[in-house]
Amino acid sequence: MSFHCIVCIKQVPHPGHFSKINLDPVTGAIRRAGIPSVLNPLDKNVIEEALCIRERFSGKVTAITMGPPQAREVLEEAYALGADEGVLLCDLTLAGADSLATAYTLAKGIQKIGKYDLVLCGNESIDGATQQVGPQLAELLGIPHVTHVVEVNWLNEREAVVKRAIEYGYLKVKVKMPAVMTVVKSINTCRLPSVLDIMGAAGKEVQKWGCCDINGATECVGLPGSPTRVIGIVQVESKRKREMLKGSEEEMAKSAVKRLREYGVI
Amino acid sequence: MAQQGEVWIFAEQRDGNLMTVSLELLNKGKELAGQLSTPLAAVLLGEQVDDLAQQLVGYGAQKVYALENKKLKFYQSGAYARLIAELIGTHRPELFLLGATMIGMDLAPRVAAKVKTGLTAHCSDLYLEEMQGQKKLIAAVPGWGGNFVVKIACPKATPQMATVRSGVFEKPAKMQSGNGQIVKIAAAITSEDELAETVEMVESQPTGLKLEDADIVVGGGWGFQSVGGFRLAEELAGTLGGATAGSRPAVDAGWVKEDRMIGSSGKTIAPKLFISAGASGAMHFTTGFSKAKVIVAIDQNPKAPIFEVADIGLVGDLGKIIPCFLQELRKEKSGV
Amino acid sequence: MDFTFSRPHEMLRSMVREYAEKEVAPKWESYAQEGDEFPCETLSRCGQLGLIGLLVPKKYGGSEMGYLARMIAIEEISKVYAGLGANLRGWSLVPHLLTTAGTEEQKEKYLPALCRGEIQGSIATTEATSGSDFGAWPVEVTTDGNDYIINCRKVMISRSTVSDVFGILVKGEKGYSTFLIEKNMPGVQTGHREKLISCTSRNSPTGDLVITNCRVSKDYLVGPEGKGIGIALSTIGGAGRTGGAGVCLGIAEASFDIALKYSKERIIYGKPLHDLQSIKFMLGDMATRIECAKFLSYSVSWMQDQGRKSAELNKETAMAKLYASETAMSNTLKAIEILGGYGTAPEFGLIPRLKSALDMIAAAGSNNTLRRNIGDAVVA
Repeated sequence: MSFHCIVCIKQVPHPGHFSKINLDPVTGAIRRAGIPSVLNPLDKNVIEEALCIRERFSGKVTAITMGPPQAREVLEEAYALGADEGVLLCDLTLAGADSLATAYTLAKGIQKIGKYDLVLCGNESIDGATQQVGPQLAELLGIPHVTHVVEVNWLNEREAVVKRAIEYGYLKVKVKMPAVMTVVKSINTCRLPSVLDIMGAAGKEVQKWGCCDINGATECVGLPGSPTRVIGIVQVESKRKREMLKGSEEEMAKSAVKRLREYGVI
Repeated sequence: MAQQGEVWIFAEQRDGNLMTVSLELLNKGKELAGQLSTPLAAVLLGEQVDDLAQQLVGYGAQKVYALENKKLKFYQSGAYARLIAELIGTHRPELFLLGATMIGMDLAPRVAAKVKTGLTAHCSDLYLEEMQGQKKLIAAVPGWGGNFVVKIACPKATPQMATVRSGVFEKPAKMQSGNGQIVKIAAAITSEDELAETVEMVESQPTGLKLEDADIVVGGGWGFQSVGGFRLAEELAGTLGGATAGSRPAVDAGWVKEDRMIGSSGKTIAPKLFISAGASGAMHFTTGFSKAKVIVAIDQNPKAPIFEVADIGLVGDLGKIIPCFLQELRKEKSGV
Repeated sequence: MDFTFSRPHEMLRSMVREYAEKEVAPKWESYAQEGDEFPCETLSRCGQLGLIGLLVPKKYGGSEMGYLARMIAIEEISKVYAGLGANLRGWSLVPHLLTTAGTEEQKEKYLPALCRGEIQGSIATTEATSGSDFGAWPVEVTTDGNDYIINCRKVMISRSTVSDVFGILVKGEKGYSTFLIEKNMPGVQTGHREKLISCTSRNSPTGDLVITNCRVSKDYLVGPEGKGIGIALSTIGGAGRTGGAGVCLGIAEASFDIALKYSKERIIYGKPLHDLQSIKFMLGDMATRIECAKFLSYSVSWMQDQGRKSAELNKETAMAKLYASETAMSNTLKAIEILGGYGTAPEFGLIPRLKSALDMIAAAGSNNTLRRNIGDAVVA
C-alpha cells in the first residue's frame, strides 16, 4: 500500500521582524526587502504529521509551495525533515493572489502532481492568518476538509476519526480520504533534521512549475484571480482619553475609582 | 436597476444556543441593510430551528432562512457549505457576514469558494463606501504593527463576504417580539456531504465566568512576576465581579489557562471595563481588547505603549497600586 | 572574497539554534548550578543530530561537513549555554585525533561510537609540571617486545571521570608519542576531582588520569612513534583552539543580546537606556568586537575547510581563540555594567556567563601562551 501525502507549505517573513514590515501604500503588498524569511512555523508540524503518516502506512510525502524563486528554501527544509519530493509554483502571473487565487493555483499544482490520499496544511500562516486557503483548496479539489485538527485517529488508510478544536471543546469528525486537513500546533512535536539530512537537502532538485505548466487559467490566478482587493491603507487615530493619574498610589487609586464611577462602568 | 440583494448573517448555533457573535452581526447587519435599503436576513441550520428562528426575528432579522434536518444538529462542513451555497445561488444576497468562530472560519471560506466570491477574515470594522456608483462593503483589517488599518473590498463578485470576531460589534438590545418572515426549508443531506461527518460535539465548561460575557475583565501580563503571581489580579477581578484574563506570557507562566488568553492568537473581547496590569501593551495583546468601552492601564514604565491605548493610566508598582485600588473599592462598597 | 554562508551552513545554524532554544534553554540554569557532567541523553542527542562527527568522514559515522560547520554549531549552542558548547568542543577532539592520525582499525573501532555519542573521549596532555608547554617530562613509556608499558600522571583532564577513551601524549625513548587508552585497561585510574569554578561552568568534572604499568600493543599507538607532539598539536590547535573560539563567540553574543534587550526596555530620564551616549557607545563597541571575533573565527575555519593544515595555521587559530576569549570577557563585563543593579541578578544570566568567560581565559590554550605563539609567528 502506498499512501501519498501532499503538504502545502509557505515562506513567510520572520516573526521577529514583523514590526519592521511596511505595506506599499498603493497596492497593500508587503514590502519584503531586508526582512529575512522563514518556513511558516506551523508548517513544521504539518510536515511532521505527514512523516508520521508515512511511517505508519508507508508511502510518499510531497511538499508544495507557491512563491517567488527564493521560496525553494522552504522545500529544502522539507527535504531535510524527510519529504520525498518538492514542487515550487513560481511565476510572475501568480503574484498578488488572495486566498481564493492561491487555493486555485495550489489545486492546479496538486492535480498535476497526480494521485494523492491526503492534503495537509497549517491552519493558518503567521502573516496572512486568514485560515481560508485550506477549505478553499478542498472545495476546488472537490474533496472533504477538516480544520483546526488536533488529533487524527486512523481507522484504516481510507478513513480517519479526527478531533478538531472548537472554543471550549472539540468536534469528532469521521472523514474519508482523499481529504484536506488543516492542523494546529498542538497536534505533534516536530523532529529536527540531522547534519546529514541537511547536507542531503541543500541544493536538491525541486520541480518548478509556472502557470502554463499547471494549466492555470490566467483569469483565475494572481491579482486577476482575486475577488478581494486592497483599496487603501489608513492611519488610525486613537480615540482613547489617555488621562495619566498623578500622586501617590493611594491618591491614584482614589482618582481611578472616582473616574470609573463617572464613566458608569463600576 | 437590478433588485439589491439582501444582507445575510450566518446565525451560528451550538447545542440549541445562538452564538453571541451572530447576534452582534445581526445588529451591525441592521445598520448595513438600512443603508442599502434591503432586507436583513439570518441563515440558520440545525436540528429543531423554530425557537431559534423566532429569537432571530426578535433580535431584528426581517427574514430567517431556517434549514432543518436532524443531521444538521452539529456543524457539518460538507452539508452546511453546500446548502448555504445553494441558498445563495437562489437568492443572490449582496452581503454575507459570519462570526469568526472556529466553525465560522471553517465554513466561510468553503462557501466563498463554492460561489466564487471574495472573503475577508478577522475584520475590525465594516462599512459601506461608494465605489463606481455603487455602495460597496469595505472591510477594515488591522495592519502589521502600527496604527494603521488595511481597507479591503470585493468590487465585483457577490455576495461580499466577511468574518468578524466576537466583541467587534455591539451586542444587540434585549430581544423583543418582532415581525419577521421565517422561511422554513427541509434540507436533504447527500452521501457526498457525509464524506466528512461530525459525529459528536464535546464541550467542557470553562472555569469561572466566560470572558466573552463578562462586563469587567482584568487582564494581566508578565509584570505580575514581580509579585509572585496572579493572586492580586484575581482579587481585583473578584472584587469587581469580573473575569481574569492574561497575555501570552501570563499563560506561558501558568497563571491563567489558555482559554483566558487575550490577543491576536487568543480571544478578542469588548467588555465595559478592561483593566490591563503588568503588560507593556504589545499590539498583539492590545488588539484583543481595543474595543472595550473603558480601558485602564497599570504599569511601572511610564513610556509603555499600553498607555497610548488607555483612557486612564496609572504608573507605578502594581504590587502597591492594586492593593490601594482594592482598598478604595471596598470603601465604596461598604459605603464609607 | 565571498563572505556569505552557503545554504547548508545556514540550515545547520537554524537547526542548532532551534535545538539550543527548544531543548537546551529550558534546562541550562540547572546544568549551570549543578555543574555536573551532562546526562548521557544530551551526549546521544548531540550525536543523533550529527554535531559530534562534523570533522569525521561519512564512512566512520560522521558527516565531514567541516570546520566552519563545527564553529557554527559550537557558537549557536554556546549562545544559549557555554557549558554545553564547551562539551561539544571536548567531545569532538578525540574523533578529530583519530580521523587525522589514527589507523584504519582504530577509526573503525572507535569513531562510529564516538560520533553517535555512545562513548566519549578526552585529550590528556597536561602534566603536573607543565600545561601549555610540553616541557621536559620524565620517560613515561618504555617498550617491551612488541608492547609498550605506560606510566604517567595527567592532571586537569576534562571529563576524566566519565570519558571512555583518552588520547594521551607521553614521552618515550624515541621522543613523544600519542596513544589511545581505554579507561577499563588494567592500570588506568581516574581520580581526584578538582573543585574549580571552571569545572562547573564547563560541566566538565576535571581531574587526574593516573596510568600505572599499563601494557598496550602497537594497535593503540596513534600515528608514528616519536611524532606525538605534532599529532597532538594538530588536534589541540586545529580543533581545540577553534572550538574554544566558538564557545567564546557564543558567550560574547549572548551577553551583548542581553544588554541590548535590557537597554531597550529600561526607561531612564524618560527615554530608553540606550539613548544615553555612554551606553550606545558601549553597545557599539561590543557589536564591533563581535564582528571581529566572527571574522577571525570563521576565516580560520574556512581556511581549514580549504585543506590547509592546522600546523600551518598556528597563528590564525591562536588569534581566533585569543580575541574571542577577550571579547567574551569584555562584552560580559560591559553587559553587567549596562544592567546596573540588575547586572548580577540571576534572572539575567550574566554571572554564569562571566564564569564561563573566566574559565575560557585558560582553557583551549591559555591566552598568554597564544600571545607567545602569535608573537613568534609575527616576528619569524
